[in-house]
Amino acid sequence: MNVDLELVQRVQAGDKKAFDVLIMKYQQRIVHVITGFVHDPVEALDVAQEAFIKAYRAIPNFRGDSAFYTWLYRIAINTAKNYLTARSRRPPASDVDAMDATNYYDAPELKEFETPETKMMSDDLEQGIHQAIEALPEDTATAIKLREFEGMSYEEIAEVMECPIGTVRSRIFRAREAIELQIQQIMGEGE
Amino acid sequence: MNHNELLSALVDGELHGSELDQALRVLAENKLATAQFQRYQQTQDVLKGYAERGLSSHLVNRISLALENEPVYSQQTSQPKAEVITLPTPFWKQMTGLAVAASVGALAVVGVMTQPQNNLVTNSPMAAIDTPTAVITVAQAGERWIVDAPEIEYRLNNYLLEHNEQTGSSGVFSYARVVSYGAE
Repeated sequence: MNVDLELVQRVQAGDKKAFDVLIMKYQQRIVHVITGFVHDPVEALDVAQEAFIKAYRAIPNFRGDSAFYTWLYRIAINTAKNYLTARSRRPPASDVDAMDATNYYDAPELKEFETPETKMMSDDLEQGIHQAIEALPEDTATAIKLREFEGMSYEEIAEVMECPIGTVRSRIFRAREAIELQIQQIMGEGE
Repeated sequence: MNHNELLSALVDGELHGSELDQALRVLAENKLATAQFQRYQQTQDVLKGYAERGLSSHLVNRISLALENEPVYSQQTSQPKAEVITLPTPFWKQMTGLAVAASVGALAVVGVMTQPQNNLVTNSPMAAIDTPTAVITVAQAGERWIVDAPEIEYRLNNYLLEHNEQTGSSGVFSYARVVSYGAE
């Protein structure tokens, strides 16, 4: 079963903490999408909060007919549009199709409102992550690249790399630890 | 297994069942684990071009706080309660009776509608056509009008037919039948 659906079912069964995991998993994406409508990062956070609350209230009716993120994405878009309408601001004429939203990485219309500061920071981070990946042992680097850039599952990576799934999981974890170290150095936290 | 390895697998959506339980327990009990999970997740988000680290690091806390007053769902509340309406037993009895009556009615209508068109056409005229034929048959079978002179017999039969045709539609009891019954 899909992990998101499993988490949703846990929320439906009374495990509120499972919803926190869904928030942590999708908060950045949702804020990113909402920023494309609302523009102001502070307002975007407020709208994102409202969207997640609406999602929590609607979650008893979620039956898994669509992916959880697609469902959440629709709620976020509607919340952002309503927010703009309530403030007499016109919502954008078009938005990203919900079906594409799951794999929507570099939407130019969503990047449009990035500030120079945030762009520089994210560029630095991205560069640091890539450097960290290149510095990894080959097997570890391959595993994390297949996961993050090719979007493969552990099972698919295990097949490609001809190794057990447990090894894939371990290699990806080690890669993340190395990346984390690199990021801490970039952010000045490692000193 | 290392807790962080578990969280890394959770970021990738590769945990199920008892391992997912374990990860959720760790996240619920250990704030450092929660922070670590968020860092893994944000690294993935940065790689995918969603956001810069730290932009919404407090969002989850804000939402959790806002959700404190929201109800905790249970298996019962997760069901669409509004769709389930408990009705008293007599209501179901009435509904069952009504359903049976409706079914019988529907069958009757469907039965009439599915009859061949020829039958419908021939049914009503046949009453008029068959009646004299039947009278003739009865008369012939009973040999009521057989007399020595064929001409007289023919005329008597004609009278009877005319009489029968007129009384058949007016509701007056047929004299021919009275005659027939009286002959028995």
